[in-house]
Amino acid sequence: MRHVASDLVALLDGALADEERARVEAHLAGCGPCRAQRDRIAAAIGFLASLPPPADPAPGLEERFQARLAREADRPRGLLSRVPWRIAAPLAAAGAVAAAVAVAVVRERRAEAFAAEHLELFERYELVASIGDVADEDAEVVAHLDELEGRR
Amino acid sequence: MVPDPDAALLVAFQGGDRSAFRTLFERHGRAMVAFCHRFVRDASRAEELAQDVFLKLHQAAPRYRPTARFRTFLYRIAANHCLNELRRGERAARAEPGRGDAPEELDLLAGSGATPEESARGRALARAVDELLARLPEKQRVAFVLCRFEGMSYEEIAAVLRTTVPAVKSLVHRATVAAAEALAPFAGGEAA
Repeated sequence: MRHVASDLVALLDGALADEERARVEAHLAGCGPCRAQRDRIAAAIGFLASLPPPADPAPGLEERFQARLAREADRPRGLLSRVPWRIAAPLAAAGAVAAAVAVAVVRERRAEAFAAEHLELFERYELVASIGDVADEDAEVVAHLDELEGRR
Repeated sequence: MVPDPDAALLVAFQGGDRSAFRTLFERHGRAMVAFCHRFVRDASRAEELAQDVFLKLHQAAPRYRPTARFRTFLYRIAANHCLNELRRGERAARAEPGRGDAPEELDLLAGSGATPEESARGRALARAVDELLARLPEKQRVAFVLCRFEGMSYEEIAAVLRTTVPAVKSLVHRATVAAAEALAPFAGGEAA
């Protein structure tokens, strides 16, 4: 015999299809533990239904909301917020791509500038295989290799 | 086709009728405060959240299509907002224990014209339900509140939560079984 505990809440909520409801009710007719569980759940649903709603808000709810709505409307908003979202979303996406490209270009230029300034060192020390791998710390080491060698 | 009068009001607001939005708040503002109260147990915070929901509705109105029921649209915004509030609240509760309605606000829950015993029992029941709600996982809590306090069908809850009816059935089932366990002491009348 398969118990019907998992269908009892739906049964009490009237959410079972006719066939399912008939099956569950037939089971309940012959199963004391399932009937007891149904009664416990039904009692809890009854308690919940008996609870009064939360206390009403203080008088003037509508006025307070309209005042807040007016304040929000008066608040200065950014350019994008005044543009319809169908236009704003692609604009924002394009802006993000442009910013990423700009950052990449600036980093590449800085790397090129660094390489140009330290060309002598790069030629002299064949320690750096690629300028793309040069971090600031690497550059410090390269710049002071003479001193480091001198200490040996 | 406009499926309900509230949807017609929101469509009117889309067309520039500001009074239509005011009417929507008059119709649903109090119910929304009550809904939010189930999540924060604090009257002034509940009102603030309900206002937030209507501000979001005001902003989202241009995206509304009257194929969706207005109530579904409104409660979807509200459920998301309250879930976010729960997540923020969990962090705040750790920093500020004991947050919630003052005892006199709980007194109001017992109803008027009750005997002292009934009042005490009503307060104890309300506290037990509050504690139950606080313990429920967040999705169960939303589904449970929509079902037990807002009277929504499983289909409507599924539309609000953008999930399936079997998923809602499972959420409501687990939460209601937890409620049956939590409220069992009240069945014999001994809890107060």
